[in-house]
Amino acid sequence: MAQTGVQPKPRGFWKTHQKTLAPWLFLAPGIAMFLLYVIFPIFESIWISFYQWDGLGPKTWVGLQNYRDLFADDSFYTSLKNNLIWLVLYLLAIPMGLTVALFLNQTVTGIRLYKSLFFFPFVISQVVVGLIFTWFYAPDFGLLPKLLQALTGSGKDFAVLADERYATLGVIAAGLWPQTAYCMILYLTGLNNINPEQVEAARMDNAKGLSMLWHIILPQLRPATFIAFVVTVIGALRSFDLISVMTLGGPYGSTRVLSYFMFEQALSEYGTAMGYGAAIAVVLFAIMLVFITIFIVRMLSQERNS
Amino acid sequence: MATVTLKNAKKQFGAVEIIKGIDLSVADGEFCVFVGPSGCGKSTLLRMIAGLEDFTSGSLQIGGKEMAKVESADRGVAMVFQSYALYPHMTVKQNIGFGLKMTGHSLADIEGRTKRAADMLQLEPLLDRKPSQLSGGQRQRVAIGRAIVRNPEVFLFDEPLSNLDAALRVQMRIQIGKLHHDLKATMIYVTHDQVEAMTMADKIVVLHAGRIEQVGSPLELYHRPNNMFVAGFIGSPKMNFVNVEAGTGSSLKLPGGGTVKIDGMKAKLSGKLTLGIRPEHVELAKKTADANVSTVVRAAEYLGSETMFYVTLPDGTEAAVKADGLAKTQVGDTLLLHFPPKACHVFDPDGKTLHNGDLSK
Amino acid sequence: MFPRPIEKSAPWVGIAYKVFLPIALILWLLPLIGIAITSVRPASDLASGNYFGMPSGFAFVENYSSVFKNSNIGWYILNSFRVTIPTVIGAVALSCLTGYALAVYKFKSNLFVFFLFVAGNFVPFQILAIPVRDLTLKMGLYDTMTGLVLFHVAFQTGFCTLFMRNFMKALPFALIESARVEGVNEFKIFWHIVLPLVRPAMAALAVLIFTFIWNDYFWATVMAQSADVRPVTAGMNELKGQYKVAWELISAAAIVAALPPVAMFFLMQKHFIAGLTLGATKG
Repeated sequence: MAQTGVQPKPRGFWKTHQKTLAPWLFLAPGIAMFLLYVIFPIFESIWISFYQWDGLGPKTWVGLQNYRDLFADDSFYTSLKNNLIWLVLYLLAIPMGLTVALFLNQTVTGIRLYKSLFFFPFVISQVVVGLIFTWFYAPDFGLLPKLLQALTGSGKDFAVLADERYATLGVIAAGLWPQTAYCMILYLTGLNNINPEQVEAARMDNAKGLSMLWHIILPQLRPATFIAFVVTVIGALRSFDLISVMTLGGPYGSTRVLSYFMFEQALSEYGTAMGYGAAIAVVLFAIMLVFITIFIVRMLSQERNS
Repeated sequence: MATVTLKNAKKQFGAVEIIKGIDLSVADGEFCVFVGPSGCGKSTLLRMIAGLEDFTSGSLQIGGKEMAKVESADRGVAMVFQSYALYPHMTVKQNIGFGLKMTGHSLADIEGRTKRAADMLQLEPLLDRKPSQLSGGQRQRVAIGRAIVRNPEVFLFDEPLSNLDAALRVQMRIQIGKLHHDLKATMIYVTHDQVEAMTMADKIVVLHAGRIEQVGSPLELYHRPNNMFVAGFIGSPKMNFVNVEAGTGSSLKLPGGGTVKIDGMKAKLSGKLTLGIRPEHVELAKKTADANVSTVVRAAEYLGSETMFYVTLPDGTEAAVKADGLAKTQVGDTLLLHFPPKACHVFDPDGKTLHNGDLSK
Repeated sequence: MFPRPIEKSAPWVGIAYKVFLPIALILWLLPLIGIAITSVRPASDLASGNYFGMPSGFAFVENYSSVFKNSNIGWYILNSFRVTIPTVIGAVALSCLTGYALAVYKFKSNLFVFFLFVAGNFVPFQILAIPVRDLTLKMGLYDTMTGLVLFHVAFQTGFCTLFMRNFMKALPFALIESARVEGVNEFKIFWHIVLPLVRPAMAALAVLIFTFIWNDYFWATVMAQSADVRPVTAGMNELKGQYKVAWELISAAAIVAALPPVAMFFLMQKHFIAGLTLGATKG
């Protein structure tokens, strides 16, 4: 814009270069912020991971030592294993969401309100979800032990979150609650957009029930499934809030995942191992990069086709 | 008012050449129609003149000034889009005045010009409506009004009637014709509908695969096509093409053994050729002796005013025949056809015209 | 429609469906309902072990006023608004600009820039945390609203750009071309034609970003330390420590903290879902 200010007439440099300069002027503020706060920090973290640093004093170059330490750390393997369990079990949100969506895809009175209420868990913060489930699991007075008591006659003192065997599963179950709601809403929108004539044509071809679902409906829901897959994978790998609220990584570090492990090492009140924390973050980033790449490649091919 | 001249205009998208060197000149005040099948490049060429696509090479002059590298807004052109491109959040009045307002015209000036355009297009009662409250034909008129207020030297129309139903299309055709008469501006109009081209144009440009096949008045193109493509594209139903062989002198051997002797043939004929004759010029033979070819009726459409017969020649070629409404021949019957020599066109194996019939004889 | 509409099935199926629907909903929301009921129980109920029976009284006023009186939650909620609202405005404004640039102009690095935003949107927070905290410290903005807001705006610009660009790309391009032929300059096209047409997208983004930022916990713990800055998510976790087993109070606080995004969702439901399901229906 400055160019036009000094010109007596609004012709000249700005006028002739308007279309090539305009996009960069529009992009400038957004790109500057995004580079400063997102893109550069990624490289900076990678760089920090080669140093020993307490966050305040000078940095000491240690090369790959942080990574060597990491690969010898049992906590790292626990976290990695838990990340894998999260990833696999979290994907259950997709079929569960589809099931709920199919159940709710009707036109009875009040169904809109039902759909909104089913979606409810996603709107609530994970901190609150974590609290709700902590209470749900609480031994002696929590709802789950009570139900177990009523159904099986024992288990009143069953403490899910204090039991190394079940704690991670308990946290994941809490996470599945909002995630299923998210997948449900994706599928409800997808179902809404299916061409009804195609369904009718398939009905006349004698497809029904599961065969209809498999051969006609699911293929048309593929875009919804893909988005559900992406958000669920990213959600699983980003899991942090629930662990922080429900178990603090315990008991005995058994519910740690990489994101929480990193937080403990570098960001929490007592964590000052910046280099080590950065190394954990880099490993987590590398895992996520696989999925990000899959997503980008697919989006790119969509862009090219359109 | 202005002439539009294109010299060796070319356009490439990546490695694909869409416009392959166009030379064309449109006279001041002329109504010029670009016509051709979809993908022939007619819309691209129009968008190049509008300044919405760059020239890969070549030149464009409007009113004698070189414009190929000039910003769209400074070319003195106005465009009417196929989708009308009305701004959905503005009223008709705001739509018409928007461009003027944004380029710093005074309110009084905008008001005056809007009123004039509204008068010409009977838009007054619609001025305060939003585009969503208008019918297709009304939207079309607003889009034209938006073009008029800018007093352009050249009007560009990109398939403006293709979203309207048949009856409305006829009406709008007449309205645009009247507008051209009143404004006396140069207009360039793109369509794939050859009826639109025939009815509206002073000059038709037939495009095919990025090249000009022929330029001429509607009747020139109808009576004297340069090649098989133009012969087949102009005229509805399309011209029949029959494989023939050169006989002695200027006679042609038809499938099934009959012959046609072409009068006034200048070119020397030899080998395999194509004979072209329009369905409306084929006659039903009254006597066996008049018949050039014997055909079998495959389908018939009895329209009352006329009857269309779709027939098969002895070599399997399909042809259409427009007969009078009283013809009673049925599907499966034999139909004897007479090809009047003065209506016959002859094309060489490359599709170039060797001879155009002359109906005036 | 799939599955087959209930009205077309036998009457008993319709009745069974209508009976099962509320039961399913209650089961689905059971943990939430439990918390809600607990939040209005008198403390004596919990002390005497009455967690699930009928509440012996209705202690709504006592519990909720106690939460507001004896904790900083009112302050934390205010903090959450102070972080969330500027972030929403900033991210939506920036992404209108970037989205327009990427949707309307053809230039060489267009797709590269676009996918930079998209990819950045998916990185784990942990890879950003140390440098971002460091940067904020250096700018003197650590433990301030501004520091938190600046980061949120920058990060959300990724998602918002994806959203805006796709929305703008779906607008009829002839509108922009038409304005160009009329001599309208690029900024005026943006301001007078594109912005009025993307208002629904701005609304959708606004509710979505509101919820995301309101519910953020990670950055609230990493970038904020003092009670002056702490948003309600981080505050909740602190309350949990403070109240220990006073579940009627924790529950009341949880309900209060969850309320603003829930209200937002119910008020702007259509926009919210449009935002979340972006892209789920095309391609």
